[in-house]
Amino acid sequence: MGQNQSRLENAPILTVENLRVVFSKHGREVQAVNGLNYQLSSGRTLAIIGESGSGKSVGVRSLMGLLPPSAKVTGSVRLNGRELVGLSEKALMSVRGKEIAMIFQDPAASLNPTMNVGSQIMEAIRLHNPMKKREAEVKAIELLKLVRLPSPETRIRQYPHQLSGGMRQRIVIAIALASDPKVLIADEATTALDVTTQAQIMELLVDIQERLGTAVIMISHDIGLAANYAHDVMVMYAGKVVEHANTKSLFSNVQMPYTKALLGAVPQLTTIPHSRLTVIGGHPPDLSNLPTGCPFAPRCPRATNVCTAEEPPLERQNDQHSYACWHPVGGQPLEAAGTADVLKVDAQDGACSESSTSTQERAVFASSLDERAKR
Amino acid sequence: MTSTADAQVTSPRSKKHGSFLGRTAGSPLLRLIIRRVLLAVPLLLAVSLLVFILLEAMPGDPARNQAGMDATEDQVEAVRRSMGLDRPAPERYITWLFGFLRGDLGVSSVSGRPVAELLAERLPVTLELVGLAFVLSVVLALPVALLAARKPGGIVDRLIMVFSMTLLAIPNFVMALLLVLVFAVTLQMLPAIGYVPVQVSLVDNLRSVTLPVLALAIPMACFYARFLRGDLGEQLLGAGYIDTARAKGAGIWRILWLHAFRNSSFGLLTLVGLNIGALVGGTVIIEQIFAMPGMGMLMLQGVISLDLAIVQSCVFIFAAVAIFANLFVDIMYAVLDPRIRYGSH
Repeated sequence: MGQNQSRLENAPILTVENLRVVFSKHGREVQAVNGLNYQLSSGRTLAIIGESGSGKSVGVRSLMGLLPPSAKVTGSVRLNGRELVGLSEKALMSVRGKEIAMIFQDPAASLNPTMNVGSQIMEAIRLHNPMKKREAEVKAIELLKLVRLPSPETRIRQYPHQLSGGMRQRIVIAIALASDPKVLIADEATTALDVTTQAQIMELLVDIQERLGTAVIMISHDIGLAANYAHDVMVMYAGKVVEHANTKSLFSNVQMPYTKALLGAVPQLTTIPHSRLTVIGGHPPDLSNLPTGCPFAPRCPRATNVCTAEEPPLERQNDQHSYACWHPVGGQPLEAAGTADVLKVDAQDGACSESSTSTQERAVFASSLDERAKR
Repeated sequence: MTSTADAQVTSPRSKKHGSFLGRTAGSPLLRLIIRRVLLAVPLLLAVSLLVFILLEAMPGDPARNQAGMDATEDQVEAVRRSMGLDRPAPERYITWLFGFLRGDLGVSSVSGRPVAELLAERLPVTLELVGLAFVLSVVLALPVALLAARKPGGIVDRLIMVFSMTLLAIPNFVMALLLVLVFAVTLQMLPAIGYVPVQVSLVDNLRSVTLPVLALAIPMACFYARFLRGDLGEQLLGAGYIDTARAKGAGIWRILWLHAFRNSSFGLLTLVGLNIGALVGGTVIIEQIFAMPGMGMLMLQGVISLDLAIVQSCVFIFAAVAIFANLFVDIMYAVLDPRIRYGSH
């Protein structure tokens, strides 16, 4: 795919720096997103994966100001050099749909049941590009051809309930593409669809991306989908990025125990039928009361005292791979700043037991025991 | 809307289910209307029978009432015969029913005038009150609800909700007295009682009905506004199509009116339909307070003087108005909602 070259060739169209979202309700603050940093270039696909409540949806919705008024967004989002954080509602209206468009999870819910699909597409066209109804209709039919909906001339007069889930999602995509956006956000766009339709829709998105050069952010909890369709993958946990890498590098060289646990939770064809699925033990932290240190530490089989004492920074392993972990699964461990490292031995046989004693781990184990002996 | 989409979806259905009504030619909308109208007929019959039974069970002897307190037993029996009350109840019901179908509603035992003639005088007054109050309640509720929903939890929203709750808590007869106190007694802008027919003067007619219409419409408008505000707010929070509309770049008014209100209109329509019965019932009290010569007043006088012919017809007409209002709501549903219009599948 030549990801390296395209990254060098294309200057980023979207630059997100230290993006934070805090919801405040009844004096309680919920830190949904805690400092996101990433860049996205035209024609590239970034997958954001993570559990429910990890802040992936909130993080992308904040890009176009689609959050309720109780949300406070800070940091910086630059689209083609233009700062989006802090824009007025009116200014944001001209960004939504025109510069950044979004496809939502449930195609059955994301279309207005009382309007025929044609008017819904035409509305999206005419909001940013005033034209006569007839011209908009021609454009709408073109869009439906682009998303490969059969017999668009008839479909345009139909209502959402007359279409199948896959057809509806094609309509939703047509709406998103109405004003030729530079960035397309697919928020779990295929989660509600069956597997074959899912594949068709993903292929369609890839095809459209190649034709129009759109930058795509896909949000998913399906790690396999991300592996197949994204150039880069960003793993989020408790509103933070815990691992961010080129897809190939991520899957060949997993660093963060959380990512590894997510991969371990994917059922494999080789798994014995009716055996228990692997789950990640414990539950995500309370976002209104984040613990100090690494947010994953309480659930992590590799956690040590340093993990609960100090938060690991998102460090660059190389050009294509960053991760935030004191005790990465492979590669060099990050230096714990001054703190003595004591391994919680009983945590070793935790939830993801598979291959938990690599040579690397043994080395860490040994060195920490040494440290303890010294004291 | 379009015949192509229409035909595509419905033709296989109507062929498969070849019932008596299914075979009726024409659009599904027309079939639905025909079906609902036909269903209203047995309902009306049942209502008329129920009213008849209720009147039979009512205490008091109409013949004695008519003949006077000093009349002898023979005189009372003579009056009873002349009124036809000596015949068995089923026979009297059938007679009344066929008379009604021919347009003969009987004769008022008190005034001696044909009931049809009395109704022709009184019905327009009540219909004017009900019609204006109905329109006004919806017309007042819409902008208020949209304004409140624009910023849920904002100062405008809260003021509107508190204000509407207060007005909603006031019963319409208390509202009537308050309105009279303010507009007729203190400000002397409008007449406190009486009705001026349209034929006399349109302006005076409107002036004379303003207060009763307001008394009927205000509590109802508050009810609708609160419902609509709640429904709009719920959609703004959670509906997928609202998210889609916002992501398109639509502004708040466009979202509220074009996307949210359209979906709220079905619920509102149901509420409005159910309330027409209450509105018609409300006229009975309001007409008394404002001395409006309408159906409500006629019926109340009929009940007091045991004038069976009048009460039977009045109650039946009130019930028929409620039934037809709901019939209209059902049809409006189908006109507005494509899922019903085209049949879900």
